[in-house]
Amino acid sequence: MGAAAKAVALLCLSATAFAAEVGAIEQKAALCAACHGPQGNSAIPANPSLAGQPKQFITTQLVMFREGNRKDPQMSAIAAGLTNADINEFGAYFAAQQPIPPPPSAMDAANVAASQKLAEQYNCVVCHGAALKGTQHIPRLAGQQRVYLAEQLRGFKASTRFDMDGNMTSAAQPLTASDIELLAEYLAALR
Amino acid sequence: MDSLLRSAAAGIGFATVAFVSFAQQTAPTPTPAAQPPAAAVAPAAPPAAPAPAPSWQQGRSAEQQSSPLHPFAPILTGRPASELQVDKLKVPPGFKVEVWVDGVPEARSLTLGDNGTVFVGNRNLKDVYAIVDRGGKREVKKILKGLNSPNGVVFNKGTLFVAERGRITRYDGIESSLDNPPAAKVVIDNLDPTAQPGHFWKYLAMGPDGKLYFNIGAPGNIVLPTYTQATIMRVDPATGVLERVAEGVRNSVGFDWHPKTKQLWFTNHARDWVSDDLPQDTLHRVSAKAMNFGYPFCHQGDFPDPEFGKSRSCKEFDAPAAKLGPHIAPLGMRFYTGTMFPAEYRDNIFIAMHGSWNKSTKIGYNVMRVALDGKGNVAKMEPFLEGFLTDAKADPPMWGRPVDVLVMRDGALLVSDDYNGIIYRVSYKK
Repeated sequence: MGAAAKAVALLCLSATAFAAEVGAIEQKAALCAACHGPQGNSAIPANPSLAGQPKQFITTQLVMFREGNRKDPQMSAIAAGLTNADINEFGAYFAAQQPIPPPPSAMDAANVAASQKLAEQYNCVVCHGAALKGTQHIPRLAGQQRVYLAEQLRGFKASTRFDMDGNMTSAAQPLTASDIELLAEYLAALR
Repeated sequence: MDSLLRSAAAGIGFATVAFVSFAQQTAPTPTPAAQPPAAAVAPAAPPAAPAPAPSWQQGRSAEQQSSPLHPFAPILTGRPASELQVDKLKVPPGFKVEVWVDGVPEARSLTLGDNGTVFVGNRNLKDVYAIVDRGGKREVKKILKGLNSPNGVVFNKGTLFVAERGRITRYDGIESSLDNPPAAKVVIDNLDPTAQPGHFWKYLAMGPDGKLYFNIGAPGNIVLPTYTQATIMRVDPATGVLERVAEGVRNSVGFDWHPKTKQLWFTNHARDWVSDDLPQDTLHRVSAKAMNFGYPFCHQGDFPDPEFGKSRSCKEFDAPAAKLGPHIAPLGMRFYTGTMFPAEYRDNIFIAMHGSWNKSTKIGYNVMRVALDGKGNVAKMEPFLEGFLTDAKADPPMWGRPVDVLVMRDGALLVSDDYNGIIYRVSYKK
């Protein structure tokens, strides 16, 4: 872990402990804002937005970080100290936040149409829903950070991204590099 | 198309994925010509996928590739009973159902200690929990950590046995040292040598012969198993000797012995992706050595597999004692040996139905009561505990899922619910 990452992790940990004493979920969640943005609307391209994610998606990922199944230098350290009650609270909080609509797409109409077709062709819509807003343990993709989405898809394709049962690893196999870029840009602009 | 963006994590519940398959995989679509970068037209069909589909998708037809059906993942943190409509649960007249304890994440298999401790296993987490009842106030303790899918638990003569994916271990004298459990001693190891995804989480029970019985399921939905797969096995904890008890069993996650005949009975999950109504999941009785219940060639005793059954006959195989319903997912089962319930419940079987996912109109999500006649044949089957299923067409269709049942010393029945991490108690009063 880099020094900066360590510092963030420590900051988040000590701040989490502090917030637990204060008790208000808004204060606890404010600490997540350093990386995930205000109310879970990320402004950092590599970091995911949490606002409007299904509660079960948030809680499942936090459990998987805590248990060491999914690994990330910062999130692993932060999740290590969370109780199930904390995790449920974070899940409920972020699920209730309004996603800030992304700026209008810079894609031309032909690429939008092509991307939409890809999302159907690769069955994204079957699990993530027609509006790609996620459900249960399945994440919202609409309006997610483009860089983050592309990085996850590349990770799934390379079988390096944590995957609970291999669905996404399998699903990402046929994606070409340009498919991934198109899909990420298209999904990031969806409202 | 071979690979699908299905539920990104679906299967926490079905964490086991790839499959060792001699069977057909879904036919890969032809590799297209190289695509131009960022093409303004949709690319043609994708190239064949090197990573296999998750095991729950294996065996789907081309038409089923965009099916919205998927397994339901448990809520791994559990939910407090106060957030749920537990008053919607229904039991027959005279019976009462209540929350016995909540806060037991992904509560699955149950076993009872000599001093009344209830031990609880799970499948997607790594811990074993103990619940200690102190005068009606229940304390939940995480007693074991860092295990590999500790689904099977059984307590016998002071020892807790735990079945993980790859091994069975024993914890002697654990009930008197819950806060400082003894180190694991290995009964048998290397049960999962390939570490491949598949139905390899285990149910564990102690037979009347003093041997530990457990399942090794099939490595995928519908594939040819190896010699030890799709079986019920037993191991002698004194010697470590392993034997095959029954074969052709796709996956059994619940068994018990008839209190009078001492015969082994077990539940079994049939394959998916044939249709909404076929084949049915089953209840089986083991009445002889070396019985074969048909997988992957024949399901439910009379339904040849569309692929593997083509050149075989169901007559080659042993039939089930009962068909339980398509995709209903029978898990834990116990004979009722208590005296609290009315006399006609004695030696009946309670079966926890986890509930269907591979079916457009959902069924199950209840505990069924199965009564046997004098010859040991199934005479009656009816719902005993229900109310978890809220909308058979919804996704998800339920708010809770029964996994295991346990007869307590006072005759009450405990029921675990892995979706919420709750254990319910059903009691009876005249």
